[in-house]
Amino acid sequence: MAVQTVRLTLEGVRASQGSWSITAQGTFGEGLHLVSGDVGSGKSTLGLLMAGLSAPSSGQVTRDGISSVMVSFQFPEYHITGTSVREECESWGLDPATILSSVGLEACSERDPFSLSRGELKRLHLACVLSRGYDLLILDEPFSSLDVVEKHRICNILSHRSRGITILFSHEQTIFPRVDHIWEIREGRLRYCGSPPESFSNWQHVPPIIQRLVDAGKTPANISADDLKEAAWRT
Amino acid sequence: MEDVRLRTGTATLLSLVAFFSLTGAAVVFIWWLVFTENFQLVRKNRLVIPSVILIGIFGIILEITGGGGISYLFRMVVVILIGIWLLSGQKPGEFLHLGSWLFGNRAGFELGILAEMALQNLNMLLVDFDRIRAAERMKGVRSGLPSFISTGRVLIHGTLLRAEDTAELLAVRGYVQGGTCVPVFAREKKDLVAAFFALCAAVIAVIPVRAFFILS
Repeated sequence: MAVQTVRLTLEGVRASQGSWSITAQGTFGEGLHLVSGDVGSGKSTLGLLMAGLSAPSSGQVTRDGISSVMVSFQFPEYHITGTSVREECESWGLDPATILSSVGLEACSERDPFSLSRGELKRLHLACVLSRGYDLLILDEPFSSLDVVEKHRICNILSHRSRGITILFSHEQTIFPRVDHIWEIREGRLRYCGSPPESFSNWQHVPPIIQRLVDAGKTPANISADDLKEAAWRT
Repeated sequence: MEDVRLRTGTATLLSLVAFFSLTGAAVVFIWWLVFTENFQLVRKNRLVIPSVILIGIFGIILEITGGGGISYLFRMVVVILIGIWLLSGQKPGEFLHLGSWLFGNRAGFELGILAEMALQNLNMLLVDFDRIRAAERMKGVRSGLPSFISTGRVLIHGTLLRAEDTAELLAVRGYVQGGTCVPVFAREKKDLVAAFFALCAAVIAVIPVRAFFILS
């Protein structure tokens, strides 16, 4: 049986609000894509356009072979539909015991999701989202509200994600998963930087730690913590 | 209309005129057609249709139970259209300027900041609502009472959190009462023309028709 390929194509896409606008052109294939950009550069707007949750003012977004889409919003509260943490897990069609033990929230099963801290809620939400397979998964600032340990754990899961297109929108500067492609939003335009490590020379938002390694002649193979450590320890 | 003083004054006057008589509502409707972006405003604002539906339900009940429902519906729709026009030109901070200009830097500032926060919250509620509905659709939650309740819960929670954040921010910055604001207003020539005709509309609506025309 032939495996259907998934592809997201942006053709001359433009979104605007007053004097502000963002344009995007490019094709996103299977794998993990990082889209970096400053706060307010239009990452969330672009994520909504890609998912088909908002319409561009011009251009076209085409989703080939994509039958399931999920956008993980920056604020996990938007996704809550259950009145208890257990119900919330069930609303995603998941086993509460498995999910809650994976994020250390077993004791919170009967609590109101709104009584959790933002960090706990984000952990719960990401555990639910990442437990399911989507053809197109868009993560809008998934690392916000998470501590360093959690960020590493999420990165590890994302690095091993094998199915579909995953697009990670983030302005994170230190902790990343291993990615297949790097994009950035610069001067109101989405630009493709390439695949690591070749992409580093085109990446204007390249994190300082990666830039230092590159300058020292120790270019990491990718941007995950393990890759950076390997490069830093290289003699 | 650039000048918030004229816009608010005109909107208040026209709303009153439209509400109190059917003739007034008709005249105000004509003013709305001539001096605003009229149906473009309706297309841009998602609150118009739900508001009209809600008023329509009340109007029908009124018509069935005691009469006058159609008149009520028409007058209220015109009031809504004027309200939409008032909000369509709103720019952040202008109600703070208006409040300070009207009632000074103590009570006026307080009223202005209150209006600003209310409008900001209204805009954020609309954004929240869109995101929640999108999240529900992606999760496969069907529209109905359960989704209505969960949407309401998230909206209320978000609003309370924002209110708490705002209160903390104001307290941290030492806010107690009043403030200093030097009101600045932009104005265009056509503002005065529209305001003048709004006044004419009010006069026409208030003064009986026989005062203008010799009727046999």
